[in-house]
Amino acid sequence: MIGPVPGVAVALGALLVLAAYYRFRADSPPTSYADGGIVTPKIGLTTTEKPSGLLRWLTTVDHKDIGLLYILFGTAAALWGATDGMMMRTELLVADTTVWNVETYNAVFTTHGLTMLFFFVTPVFTGIANYMLPLLLDADDLSFPRINAIAFWLLPPSLLMVRGGLITDVVGTVVGLLPLEIAALTALEPVAMGWTMYTPLSVEMTNPQIDVTLLGLHLSGIATTMAAINFIVTIFTERPDDLGWDELDIFSWNMLVTSGIILLAFPLLGSTIILLLLDRNFGTAFFAIEGGGPMLWQHLFWFFGHPEVYILVLPAFGLISFMLPKFCGRRLFGFRFIVYSTIAIGVMSFGVWAHHMFATGMDPRLRASFMAVSLAIAIPSAIKEFNWIATMWNGRLRLTAPLICVIGAMSTFVVGGITGVFLAAVPVDLVLHDTHYVVGHFHLIVVGIIPLAMFAASYYWFPILTGRMYNRRLARVQATLLVVGAFVTFVPLLVLGYLGMPRRYGVYPAEFVPLNQVASIGAFILGVSLVLWLVNMIQSARVGTIVDDADVWNLKETDQFTREWQWFEKRLAERRSERPDPDEEP
Amino acid sequence: MGRARRGAIVAAVLIPAVLATVPATALASSATDQLISRLNRQLLYIAVPIAVLVEAILIYTIWRFRDNDDPKPTRENRQLEITWTVATALVLLFVGTASFHVLADPAVSTISDSPHGEPEPGEVPEDAVEVNVTAEQWAFTADYPNEGVTTNETMVLPANRTVYMYVTSEDVIHSVHVPDLGLKQDAVPGETNLVRTELSETGEYRLYCAELCGAGHPEMLSSIRVVDESEYDAWLDDQRSGSDGSTSNESTASNES
Ligand code: HEM
Ligand SMILES: [Cu+2]
Ligand SMILES: [Cu+2]
Repeated sequence: MIGPVPGVAVALGALLVLAAYYRFRADSPPTSYADGGIVTPKIGLTTTEKPSGLLRWLTTVDHKDIGLLYILFGTAAALWGATDGMMMRTELLVADTTVWNVETYNAVFTTHGLTMLFFFVTPVFTGIANYMLPLLLDADDLSFPRINAIAFWLLPPSLLMVRGGLITDVVGTVVGLLPLEIAALTALEPVAMGWTMYTPLSVEMTNPQIDVTLLGLHLSGIATTMAAINFIVTIFTERPDDLGWDELDIFSWNMLVTSGIILLAFPLLGSTIILLLLDRNFGTAFFAIEGGGPMLWQHLFWFFGHPEVYILVLPAFGLISFMLPKFCGRRLFGFRFIVYSTIAIGVMSFGVWAHHMFATGMDPRLRASFMAVSLAIAIPSAIKEFNWIATMWNGRLRLTAPLICVIGAMSTFVVGGITGVFLAAVPVDLVLHDTHYVVGHFHLIVVGIIPLAMFAASYYWFPILTGRMYNRRLARVQATLLVVGAFVTFVPLLVLGYLGMPRRYGVYPAEFVPLNQVASIGAFILGVSLVLWLVNMIQSARVGTIVDDADVWNLKETDQFTREWQWFEKRLAERRSERPDPDEEP
Repeated sequence: MGRARRGAIVAAVLIPAVLATVPATALASSATDQLISRLNRQLLYIAVPIAVLVEAILIYTIWRFRDNDDPKPTRENRQLEITWTVATALVLLFVGTASFHVLADPAVSTISDSPHGEPEPGEVPEDAVEVNVTAEQWAFTADYPNEGVTTNETMVLPANRTVYMYVTSEDVIHSVHVPDLGLKQDAVPGETNLVRTELSETGEYRLYCAELCGAGHPEMLSSIRVVDESEYDAWLDDQRSGSDGSTSNESTASNES
């Protein structure tokens, strides 16, 4: 039994298996590779020149295949994380612990946070960029197709390592009903230290699963950094000569800045995690009271953690800026300003970290300077909203599902952004910090903007990804529901925060029940919306109307038929000539 | 469809407006709360109109230019962009200065370099109440060094006197969170942080732990009872006479209210 074996050993074992796997892969003959990076890939609509079936997906180095894998993986993580969200909102329907006990609640918000941040948002954006960047840049593939594949394949094991405890816990509970004792299953409890992993709590918790989780996070950080390097090199080197920086599309710009932030922030997280592992397992004193002190953890963590916030949201801003003009029939207003503001955000994001620590007893002069930078970073963010509205002004708005998503994101951004300014104001933050106000504020962004941008992209590019069209009416209902759900769920949390309800409370005083119930109803609306999206995607990918005309969105009319659609048009033409008897014609 | 959406957006605009009433109804209960609530109100007076305005413009834009027959190509407008950049900067400058003034007040910013037991000479006023608040998994202990009183039940404090709380922790990080008094200070092991305020309203205020500290975190609740001077003295006497143990339960009764 592995009961007494420390979690590190388990995790190291997992790493070794992985290493062996890649070693083996590297030795296998090149014929087992797909075509990516060697010849022009032919996938998506055909499967020629690639191994078929499962093998193709396991061995592919084609950016489009990997993009799809990323998107599928990220979606699966999102569903898992959303299940956690629903579990928590169910628990919070009542003030006591009728549904789940406090320890389970603590575990669920921890894995929810980690899953959503590291395995949902960034992988999905990486997937979209994987698929679209080379098309938008007119490149054959990303610069390093094999690194691309490795970066992806590191993610599933990291997710399992991070979430292992919960699986064994559930299995353990089920098995526990039987008259069996399995030590291995009970040794690894779900991690419950919060996604911020504050020391000394995270050092003192004995649960060995924490070590496995930390190694999983480290691994996912490596994967994320590899993908970021790939994007940076690709954007710098794979552009054709006639595609200057001023012509680079706004989504690529945002991915470039995001990748730059990742490159600077994630290695720090990796090192910090190693320090924590050493403190936990080898008695070092990096974060011990008599050593570096608990504040050191917070500084290191948030030096990564705040840039991480922009790593999450900048690709969403990029997608919004990219798609909005297409449905307004005119160019993006103030392209230059938007690019500058994105770069400004990227730089400033490294100078605001301590605003997560205003309540720790930091020197007031230090607090004042972090307040100043935190307020300053609101300027480039606000400008984006104004630029978007100016893009819509005088245009011709077509209220398709993608545009509803985009406008919905703009409307939640107003509330999500302004509530952030309150948190930057130190005195106000002192009362609101660590209450549900904060949860409401950042969920208005992480639910109100990020998934909406992704949904918009999933509708906008659905024809390219699948060759079919989605159900438009269902999509409009889904987008509307999501916006409504986001407000109903997270605005009550702002009020709860003002009333003083702390976050991470699985049980809470009875006077907060009504607002919590409203929020939970909102969460179930969000859940319904998510299911509708899923049904629409799956059903439409299977039986949606086949797209014959690449100009799905009438972009030629307004001269916005960008490269990825031109590529799609070419593909359609090729397919038509390849298959003279089109069995799938209606 | 569009109408449903618009309805949603209107609701979204109205809800923050409702927010504005929340802190306004609370009477100032402490010097800290008074300062912070006033700042918060000032910010809301700017933020709510701006939020409503931007959302209204957004809705109007959708309504006005939806399926517009006469679209015009985008024309760059440097002037407009500079204007709104400067306008945003000015608003944030106001937020910054207003916050800075509140931040600089001793009732909000307390410097931690007067470690407990050795306050700077002359720093702590004669009639101030000093309390050592120690958090541990999962309870708060209040020790009144000058009175020889220690309790891990409701902390009783007199109104209208300066209170010095020295906050620390025995194990992991906790946080002293008394929202209705506008107080929050993390309790960090190995560090002592000072909270200084003056309480003005008598009453009972809930004290929460606001930093995740393990399985007992959401149940790490206590309270602070603010009383007038004579009641405070009576309470101290009471505590002293019963300090050998048995009667410390007395204050529990009011704790559960
Ligand atoms: C499906 C909709 C979602 C619902 C209903 C939901 C709900 C919740 C709830 C109830 C909490 C715990 C609040 C507390 O007691 O402290 C929470 C925490 C959190 N959520 Fe979500 N959430 C959702 C989506 C997301 C998404 C998409 C992200 C990120 C992209 C996210 C990131 C987080 C993070 C980082 C935390 C903090 C975890 C911690 O305190 O350690 N959530 N969420
Ligand atoms: Cu605590
Ligand atoms: Cu706590």
